Amino acid sequence: MNRVITVGVVAAVQAVLVAVAVAPQVSARLTGETHTFRVETVDPIDPFRGAYVTLGYPDLRHDASTGVGGGQGSLEDGESGDVFITLREEDGHSIAEDWVRERPDSGPYLACDDSGWQIHCGIESWFVPQDEAAEMERLLQEGAVAEVRIDSRGHAALVDVRAE
Amino acid sequence: MTTSTAPTDPHDHARDATAVQLAWLRRELADWQAAGIVDGEQVAAISGRYRTVEETRRFSLGRLLLALGAVFVGVGLIWLVAANLDQLPPLLRFVVVASLWLAFLVGGELAVPRLTPGVLGAVRLLAALAFGATIFQAAQSLQVPAYEPLLLGLWSAGTLVHAYATRAVMPLLVGIATGLIWWIWQPLAHAGSGAGAVLTLGTGAVLAVSLAVVHDRRLDTFAFVWRTVGSVLVMVALFAAAIPFTTTDGFEWNPWLVLGLVVAGAAATAGAVLARGTARWEPVGATAVLGFSVLMVLWDTGTDTSTVDLADWAHAAVGVAAYVAVAVGLAALGTLRDNPVITVIAMVALVVFTTFQSFAVFAAIIQGAWLFVVLGLVFLGTGVLFDRARRGITANLEGAES
Repeated sequence: MNRVITVGVVAAVQAVLVAVAVAPQVSARLTGETHTFRVETVDPIDPFRGAYVTLGYPDLRHDASTGVGGGQGSLEDGESGDVFITLREEDGHSIAEDWVRERPDSGPYLACDDSGWQIHCGIESWFVPQDEAAEMERLLQEGAVAEVRIDSRGHAALVDVRAE
Repeated sequence: MTTSTAPTDPHDHARDATAVQLAWLRRELADWQAAGIVDGEQVAAISGRYRTVEETRRFSLGRLLLALGAVFVGVGLIWLVAANLDQLPPLLRFVVVASLWLAFLVGGELAVPRLTPGVLGAVRLLAALAFGATIFQAAQSLQVPAYEPLLLGLWSAGTLVHAYATRAVMPLLVGIATGLIWWIWQPLAHAGSGAGAVLTLGTGAVLAVSLAVVHDRRLDTFAFVWRTVGSVLVMVALFAAAIPFTTTDGFEWNPWLVLGLVVAGAAATAGAVLARGTARWEPVGATAVLGFSVLMVLWDTGTDTSTVDLADWAHAAVGVAAYVAVAVGLAALGTLRDNPVITVIAMVALVVFTTFQSFAVFAAIIQGAWLFVVLGLVFLGTGVLFDRARRGITANLEGAES
């Protein structure tokens, strides 16, 4: 009996730690507001890396610089770390208003990171099963939107990519 | 007058002794019996009270193969995660990996009475590695950036909980390995520097040694592991501090570095308070090495390798002297605590360090084959002096304790 309780406690603690690892993304999915962004593929010649397609967000890009795995450009201010992209509505979609280093006090914003040269917000890749790959490629070329849930701390979860 | 007795389990009258101690005891008993001091019954009663710690830690090829197999499976699982289980959607992948983790963890622990120690160790190792795979798969499925030191920290915390709850060594090893990488990586993630690395290594050493001292007599195997880890960290920290290229360039204080110092301080205090006898000196010694390492880093003699001036010689000499002292001390500690691994680590570290320092200093003066001769002499000289000093200190310490 003692052994069962011990194993139960260990498993429970480890499960909690797994949840902590993905807490920001889970929080976004459960408590986030839905925003739509226009998307396109980053590399039209090879949009699929394994089963993931790399998405580009033309309305979130800071500049024209690119990197492996997509990204929203780079700030080029000599610092690296947290980047926050404040958002506003335009034509029914969300677009970037400003790119700042300090967490905004209010309003919808994305919490991103540029430690890896490009600004990454955790919404740059989307899993597509093999049998849906061709359909997704066509969709992205014709114009698609991404549905992203963003919570009050700027954590984002990409929940869908669909036709406009 | 009362004598202190070692704690004994009321259901188990055997007392622990190492194989070396038992061999000595049996030789002496034979001698006493021959001299008529004790009779045959008393000899049997005395030697029957002791059991070798070695006998409960038998090393075998079978166990090694099982452990290796477990490591391969575990590493493979994590590799599978990293390479994408292409045909499965993210949620299903997570479910598969999480199921493996729970199967190994729950299955292993509930089957403890039925499994031999070798197989149990292998299953526990798989459980610890599968837990890591679960964390990384969850992160991948939900697109958490994979290069997050926090993920390693969480993996370490989970496996350490497993290790301490079940008093199992395999999860402890995984927990310490991952925890060590996290301990060094997290504070340096945003701004790396030589001084920062020395600080994280040094505080890690203090923490490990203090934990070893706290575990003495309560969890001997755990104490052995922590002490070994602490010794390695002490040698690496001092090595890094003594290199002239380790400077305070780019060093920035951050909350993780401060937290590391606070935790190390608390652990050292706990270790010094809870320790008995000479063990008290171990956390104190580790803290002294940390302090000395910091001073060596702050003593900046410039990184120009084209000239070797008096300051450079002094820096090298002080570094070598300190390293020798710490290495010899660790070697003596290894003998005293019956931990031959520490003695080997100390010797290897000292030889590598001395050769490295000699190369750095002499390379500017001596070239080619002569450099080899000089370095070889340094090697030999170090080994001989080291061995003499180790035996001397051990004899002195054992004399003081008896």
